Amino acid sequence: MSIMQYNGSAVVAMVGKNCVAIAADKRLGQRALTVDMDFQKVFPVTDRTYVGLPGLATDVKTLSDRFRMRVNLYRHREERVIEPETFANMVSQIMYERRFGPYFVEPVVAGLDKKNKPFICGMDLLGCLNYANDFVVSGTASDNLFGMCESLWEPDLEPEELFETISQCLLNAVDRDAVSGWGAVVHIITPDGVITRDLKCRMD
Amino acid sequence: MALPAEASTGFKFDNVKRNQLLGDKGYKLPTATKTGTTIVGLIFKDGVVLGADTRATAGTIVADKNCEKIHYLAPNMYCCGAGTAADTEFTTSMISSQLALHSLNTGREARVVTAMTMLKQYLFRYQGHIGAALVLGGYDVTGPHLFTIYPHGSTDKLPFVTMGSGSLAAMSVFESRWREGLSREEGIELVKDAIEAGVFNDLGSGSNVDVCVLTKGNVEYLRGYSRPNERVFKEQSYKFAPGTTEFIDPAAAQGEDATAMDVSA
Amino acid sequence: MASLKPGEANLGTTIMAVKFDGGVVVGADSRTSTGTYVANRVTDKLTKVHDRIYCCRSGSAADTQAIADVVNYHLDLYTAQHGGPPTVSVAASLFQEICYQNKGNLSAGIIVAGWDKHNGGSVFEIPLGGSLHQQQFAIGGSGSTYIYGYCDKTFRPGMSKEECIQFVKNAVSLAMARDGSSGGVIRLAVITPDGVERTVVYGDRLPTQYSD
Repeated sequence: MSIMQYNGSAVVAMVGKNCVAIAADKRLGQRALTVDMDFQKVFPVTDRTYVGLPGLATDVKTLSDRFRMRVNLYRHREERVIEPETFANMVSQIMYERRFGPYFVEPVVAGLDKKNKPFICGMDLLGCLNYANDFVVSGTASDNLFGMCESLWEPDLEPEELFETISQCLLNAVDRDAVSGWGAVVHIITPDGVITRDLKCRMD
Repeated sequence: MALPAEASTGFKFDNVKRNQLLGDKGYKLPTATKTGTTIVGLIFKDGVVLGADTRATAGTIVADKNCEKIHYLAPNMYCCGAGTAADTEFTTSMISSQLALHSLNTGREARVVTAMTMLKQYLFRYQGHIGAALVLGGYDVTGPHLFTIYPHGSTDKLPFVTMGSGSLAAMSVFESRWREGLSREEGIELVKDAIEAGVFNDLGSGSNVDVCVLTKGNVEYLRGYSRPNERVFKEQSYKFAPGTTEFIDPAAAQGEDATAMDVSA
Repeated sequence: MASLKPGEANLGTTIMAVKFDGGVVVGADSRTSTGTYVANRVTDKLTKVHDRIYCCRSGSAADTQAIADVVNYHLDLYTAQHGGPPTVSVAASLFQEICYQNKGNLSAGIIVAGWDKHNGGSVFEIPLGGSLHQQQFAIGGSGSTYIYGYCDKTFRPGMSKEECIQFVKNAVSLAMARDGSSGGVIRLAVITPDGVERTVVYGDRLPTQYSD
């Protein structure tokens, strides 16, 4: 078994019309044993930028703290809020710094920039950025998520439509992955604010 | 001022021992995104043409269907990357910034051999552990130049080159059709055909063809020069009716009182 | 001793250098391979490290290029500091120093040859372990195993330039015919007090052999 499968996770981000969404499951396991059903994998970076950290839970914790510190340092130094693309590059840099001893996390960044333009990107555990204008997926259910998103996603979805699409993609993907699921959370980032919803989910 | 922990530069190795331990315990360590690529370059009458496919793979999954593999190095130089995607990305961007400083210091446009030497010395220092296989092309004060750079730090100077998993398919096109003194149009066409040979015959390569033409004092980056695999968009919409997905109303959940489970004997 | 790392470009080569009256002739095939794929069929394995000193590279392409670059740098520095060109033995010693000190990390078999006014033409061989041997002629690389007999039988001290060139052409083409890791064209350099003459013998102009 790969170390990336040890705790189980599923994260997906999608672009809509003037909005983006990021969603994740809530399971934390030790191999097949489910330990926590309310484990946070998506973290707010700013009011309109979120980061999803699927992978090894210990690194999820370490990195979320490290990112928080770096974003705070950035805000103090620059006296402005970090843009999603800048943050993605910051994450990428932090990941590649550990090129020869990586964190076992494949981050996903989603947000709206200062012109309300949607931004999403994924990266591998070495920090290689993968920009997308449709969707990015990550975690143990990523293969399933690819299949779901590839068929369900379409351009210019309104926030409520995007919520349905990303939720159905995630829910149906995790139902065919044994180590993710057990609850899910969706954040829809719009120019007016973020809508956060906990999904009703199979608990097996 | 940065905190001491964040101030150091270069690679960090603090996870290496832990990761080694996990590896020894039998957990398979994950593989990074590779660009099972076709990248090529050729010299024509008045410059260099570079070409690349746009597929990035993670194992057998296509991680990115339209990634950029022709990286900017300097105003007169571009570099195609194959191998570990993160390594090609970071190696080229680091050398790019060093070249910018170099030409600011010297007051001249950097030469292609300078970039080649910097890349080969950097890769040699890491003894092949940085998995970047590069095709470097550019036009400087001494004319057009084309090099290949291997992950271990060896270089070749040739009039036409290919690299990546699709290099054999692409080379067969070059070997049969390259000649000295190709025109600009012929050069671009040949590069396109070579990349398409990789796209269609190598499983690691796919999607579109990016082309970059470097001539004296001019660069033309043709992103998606050829798109032989355009997706036919689905004809039916799969939009869900509002309310399809059941979610827990946060307001309602607030009032709910959790009753403790009775675990008494 | 370091062996080739996986995926590393290899100069699975035939190289040689021969002394004659007025200087030296160096020759090499032109094949660079990665596994069974010929990565470069017109490689130049004869690398200039000073005006009249060349090295023939065999083994890892990356290692030998890096060594040649370092030696080249030191010889340029030497010239500036001493106000004159180095002897071939100085160059050979530099190569040996690097090959010996780093023998655990390098796979490089190098022949150094050239002309200087103190010793005339001279040939040095530095095989894998980093030892240094001065010789009348030297052969190296995977292809050389096939031509030891031919070279020992054919070489005479005091050959003319033309005889020497023909000897190198014959020997390298014999090796290329038998060794799968050698091939392409023959590259030659004739180093004399007057300068360096570079020539190429194309694949269709190689001396004919019995097996042809």
